[in-house]
Amino acid sequence: MADYKFDTLSLHAGQSPDARFGSRAVPIHQTTSYVFDSTEHAAALFNMEIGGHIYSRLTNPTVAVLEQRLAALDGGVAAIATASGMSALFVTVLALCSAGDHIVSSSQMYGANINLFEHTLKRYGIETTFVPPNNPTAIAEAIRPNTKMVFGEVIGNPGMDILDVPAIAKITNAAGIPLVIDATFNTPWMIKPIELGANVVIHSLTKWIGGHGIALGGAVIDGGNFDWGQNDKFPTLTTPHFGYQGAILWEEFGPAALSIRIRTEGMMNVGPCMSPQNAFYILQGLETLGLRMEKHMSNTKEMLEFLVNHEQISWVKHPSLSDHPDHKAAMRLMPKGQGSIITCGIKGGRNAGRAFIEGVQLASHLANVGDAKTLVIHPGSTTHSHLSADAMASAGLTDDLIRISVGLEDIKDLKDDFKQALRTAGKVASANGGAA
Amino acid sequence: MKIILHNTEIFASTGGRSFDAAGSVVMFIHGSGQSHLGFMLQHRSFANRGWQCITPDMPGHGLSKGTALKTVELMADWYVDFMQAIGVTKVTLVGHSMGGLIGLELASRYPHLVSKAAFISTALAIPVNDALVDLAATKESAAIAAMMDWGHGPSGHIHEHTMPGTSHMQYGSRLMASNAPGSLHAGLAACNKYTNGPTAAAAVTCSTLTIVCGQDRMTPRKTGLALHGALGGELVEIPHSGHMSITEQPLDVNKALQAFF
Ligand SMILES: Cc1ncc(COP(=O)(O)O)c(C=O)c1O
Repeated sequence: MADYKFDTLSLHAGQSPDARFGSRAVPIHQTTSYVFDSTEHAAALFNMEIGGHIYSRLTNPTVAVLEQRLAALDGGVAAIATASGMSALFVTVLALCSAGDHIVSSSQMYGANINLFEHTLKRYGIETTFVPPNNPTAIAEAIRPNTKMVFGEVIGNPGMDILDVPAIAKITNAAGIPLVIDATFNTPWMIKPIELGANVVIHSLTKWIGGHGIALGGAVIDGGNFDWGQNDKFPTLTTPHFGYQGAILWEEFGPAALSIRIRTEGMMNVGPCMSPQNAFYILQGLETLGLRMEKHMSNTKEMLEFLVNHEQISWVKHPSLSDHPDHKAAMRLMPKGQGSIITCGIKGGRNAGRAFIEGVQLASHLANVGDAKTLVIHPGSTTHSHLSADAMASAGLTDDLIRISVGLEDIKDLKDDFKQALRTAGKVASANGGAA
Repeated sequence: MKIILHNTEIFASTGGRSFDAAGSVVMFIHGSGQSHLGFMLQHRSFANRGWQCITPDMPGHGLSKGTALKTVELMADWYVDFMQAIGVTKVTLVGHSMGGLIGLELASRYPHLVSKAAFISTALAIPVNDALVDLAATKESAAIAAMMDWGHGPSGHIHEHTMPGTSHMQYGSRLMASNAPGSLHAGLAACNKYTNGPTAAAAVTCSTLTIVCGQDRMTPRKTGLALHGALGGELVEIPHSGHMSITEQPLDVNKALQAFF
């Protein structure tokens, strides 16, 4: 029996048909709690002597299938599914950092990731230094004695700057701190950061992994490849736990120490658990991740060709394009595809951008990415409409910028939709006097 | 607990509970390339049921320092020294895989130290394919991957763990990779060299339990049954488990141990 490959694991990992009814699909265990066999069984579960379920804030059989499947796909020792991508990041920080600690983070990230570090954690005494993800020297220099993790997205928002995982892992390894990666835009199909030296992976399952825009979810994947006992920086893992008879998780559970801490603190005391129903929806998506990602990539390639050659488009940004500053790193790290997010500029500025967004009929104008359906947003007329062009520029955005999350429609239909919307945008641009 | 033995810092898990050397002691003996963590779902359980559990990491393994010992006989002697160092005079032994070979040596040569012995997923001899022994020396990560593949039965390969959210194959790989380089090779070479199993088994006088697994490809069922034939004593079969029964089917293993203790 050889080790199963990606597409097989996507369908099967974490589940055998149940012994009683033989259900082939993953059953939805819509229950909050689980009957104990005996008081001894209950005590054993509460003490983590054996595995099993107690209460769905901690674990649930449907959610566990998803967790085990994600751990298998990403090469982690364990995974914890959470209510959203944001709570996955939060419970990870909670397990590793305390007041007085410091984080080095990429400056190019999803807005809520930035805000969590910049505003929320700061109020609890955790400071963050933001550095460009594609500048290893700056990352190394920002690490202090009290730094507890380096964090970033492989493909950063909005410039799609690339964090060179093996290069940064060398730096964090030498500093004795973990590299935590948000791999939402990548999924394990594109890149497995743990195999490249990262120690923890965070996913928003809401995006490509769930893939259908129907359920929020997040996950933390514990790489199990970090020696928490090498220094005294991680007392939550190397000194007695407040529960479980004062267990020292690093000694008792070794490579799974972090995930056990997250389970017994973040999930237990904060409680951002995933519902079994959402786990079921996300599992349905995960089953076809490989197939969908291939189509996302091929559609993206064709869409890029279309945009690069369209007269109404002034610029196109994607890591696969040779003029992208991190093109080489992107091709080396993600040879199967560099993601299905494209940003581009519409000639005619803010008004033309608005006209395009209002003109598309198949593509949906909304604030999400990674759906099976194609999504578009124009920050200049929506999320960032209150900002001046200068203020937008300092956030790395231009007022002509359109973000496209390329979906799985027939590419010809998509191109036709874009063609007609760009025609409308073109009319607005010429009415503006062609101002770009 | 941490002690110094033969000038080397040695870690031993006590299953998350304090340890009383004067109580009823169960000593768990890990296999090649493993550590105390392989027994995490046994020693925590028995420690919380009043047993005094002790699972030392052999030199070069787990959280112990030092370099791995080279023969099964030396390993048995090491466990005897370890017992003496922590003031334990008699134990119930539980050996998994190569730990079972060490258990055979220990129970046969030091019968006064052993009250009972349980042998899990093991045999009278564990010949290891030369290619795997060489691979452990030249490309340890590939040897670990091969052992994880061979070491797990269906539930391991499907990543279905009794600890919700955990992956057998990945946890096992990381556990093995965290040992000192060279330890896996030393363990596999020691297994290959060990030929005293039949003689040792014939000399074991304490009561024994042999746990044999139906999907075991490292110490196949028939070799486990041969060990049971030589030892006599109790036999428990776990048909649906691979070699890593202690993590794959911990509830079945613990039930058998509980009945035997
Ligand atoms: C890169 C990235 N990380 C995290 C998140 C947060 O995920 P969720 O919306 O599931 O909380 C998002 C959401 O857009 C994201 O794009």
